[in-house]
Amino acid sequence: MWPVLKKELKTYFLSPIGYVFIGLFLAMFSILFYITTIYQGMTTFQYVFYYSAMYTVVFIVPLLTMRMFAEERKNGTEQLLLTSPRSMIGIVLGKFFAAVLVIVITEILTLIYLGILCYFKVPDLATIAVTMFGFLLLTMAYIAFGMLVSSLTENQIIAAVVTIAAFVLTWLAPNLSLSFVSISLIEQFYPFATGVFPIAQTINLLSMTIMFVVITMIVMKRRKLVK
Amino acid sequence: MIEVKNVTKKYGNFVAVNNISFTVKDGEVVGFLGPNGAGKSTTMNMITGFIEPTEGSIVVNGYDVLKKPIQAKKQIGYMPEGVPLYTELTVKEFITYMAELKRVKRKERKEKVEKAIEETGLKDVEKKLIRNLSRGYKQRVSLAGALVGDPEVIILDEPTVGLDPKQITEIRKLIKNLGKNHTVILSSHILSEVSQICERVIIINKGNLIAIDTPENLEKKTEEKHVILLTVEDQKGNMEKLKKDIPEITECKFVKDNEDGTKQYMIESSADVDLRKKLFDILPKKEITIFELKKAETSLEDAFITLIDKNTVKEEKQEKVEEKSKTKKKDKEEKKKDKEKGGKK
Repeated sequence: MWPVLKKELKTYFLSPIGYVFIGLFLAMFSILFYITTIYQGMTTFQYVFYYSAMYTVVFIVPLLTMRMFAEERKNGTEQLLLTSPRSMIGIVLGKFFAAVLVIVITEILTLIYLGILCYFKVPDLATIAVTMFGFLLLTMAYIAFGMLVSSLTENQIIAAVVTIAAFVLTWLAPNLSLSFVSISLIEQFYPFATGVFPIAQTINLLSMTIMFVVITMIVMKRRKLVK
Repeated sequence: MIEVKNVTKKYGNFVAVNNISFTVKDGEVVGFLGPNGAGKSTTMNMITGFIEPTEGSIVVNGYDVLKKPIQAKKQIGYMPEGVPLYTELTVKEFITYMAELKRVKRKERKEKVEKAIEETGLKDVEKKLIRNLSRGYKQRVSLAGALVGDPEVIILDEPTVGLDPKQITEIRKLIKNLGKNHTVILSSHILSEVSQICERVIIINKGNLIAIDTPENLEKKTEEKHVILLTVEDQKGNMEKLKKDIPEITECKFVKDNEDGTKQYMIESSADVDLRKKLFDILPKKEITIFELKKAETSLEDAFITLIDKNTVKEEKQEKVEEKSKTKKKDKEEKKKDKEKGGKK
């Protein structure tokens, strides 16, 4: 797992993708931060995460996930990866955690905004910690899903569009029927911002992540037979 | 040692590789020959564990590729077709990554990476991005990726495609050297290359294994006739009658007029007779002066083409027979149906 993780993380920052992702996220975060806290004179920092999950992450996480397997398949480098003496679990988890680490780096950078807020008034730090944890879980589930889509195609654009479409659909689905709430990632995230630690949602998001990661492994293992 | 036993790969109804078996001994250099789409790459991909055979087993140095994939893959260094590389890395970064993937121990890693870089002559470009390298260098980087960590078995899919002649000779030399203490399998459709480098040749066509032998034996086996090229000065036109004088000649063909007034002929006979001595004896008596007389050598190229042609002809015949039997069956069935219908009426 380590060599893959190391190399993937390096690639994010050798190519512009890592910087574009963090830059776009922080630019949107700044605007949302201004609108929801500074302009309103509130200290509800956790809602900045909620809104950026809704309006930013949906559209930029595919930047991290679309190339994961699609690019390797298109360039043929998956032959190098899959003929190396490494298990599929290691390869998939390496790629997964490399993308998760980019999110962690981004989250650490958002602490700057928290610092600015603390200058005016120290908000409820426990709530913010729980929200940031929830935000990480949410993006993990989203990355796992994006990775799965990427493993199904060799076209990065298709991977990105399908990932975004799926997220938007599950975001809007609860408006049709409340039975969709449990599959809507964003609905699962909302309770984290309310200041309680939602065990049910934590388990739900984690199990979704594991499910998508496992399906990715199965898809990649099946490639041996179909290719 | 690589043992391939009754391996078949099917894609739906299409059979890419059909019941192939062969063994490659330790330290042997074996060449895969075949036209495009013969199943060379598919077979190599199966040996390296990239794709799974539909049937059969492959054992590399005692490890079954299907049952113990990680140990089996550890034995193999693979250079895939089309030279896939991570172009955003530098040469050294790429080779180091390949070493890490291959579980080369941390202590030895630096040394082994250096060794691979030196062997493939990449020292000058080791800090360059792979993206900016020329095709030939990319090929070498891919080769270095296969060599790093000294795997016992090295599999190269068309290692010299797209290189200039100087690079080709360099790579061939390198492969020959590797053959001293590695088992090497390489594929190619350049026949002279295979006959130069390889100790044994495996010829595949349309997924079927046609022949396994040394290049020399293959050439001998497929030799069906003796061909002699003859350049003569023949003022009286006696060459035309030569076939009568020497009954062993099966064909005497005029090839071309040379500028100096001599003529070139091609003389064919069956494989078991050598006419050279006889020609030397008889031609002067017929007032024909020999300027040049040489045996046209059959090359591996001819052997290859003969084998492939034979194979294709056989298949076509089989297909025709099958089709005929099918149509016959259909006819019978239709007749039966008609009868039944008639009966019902």
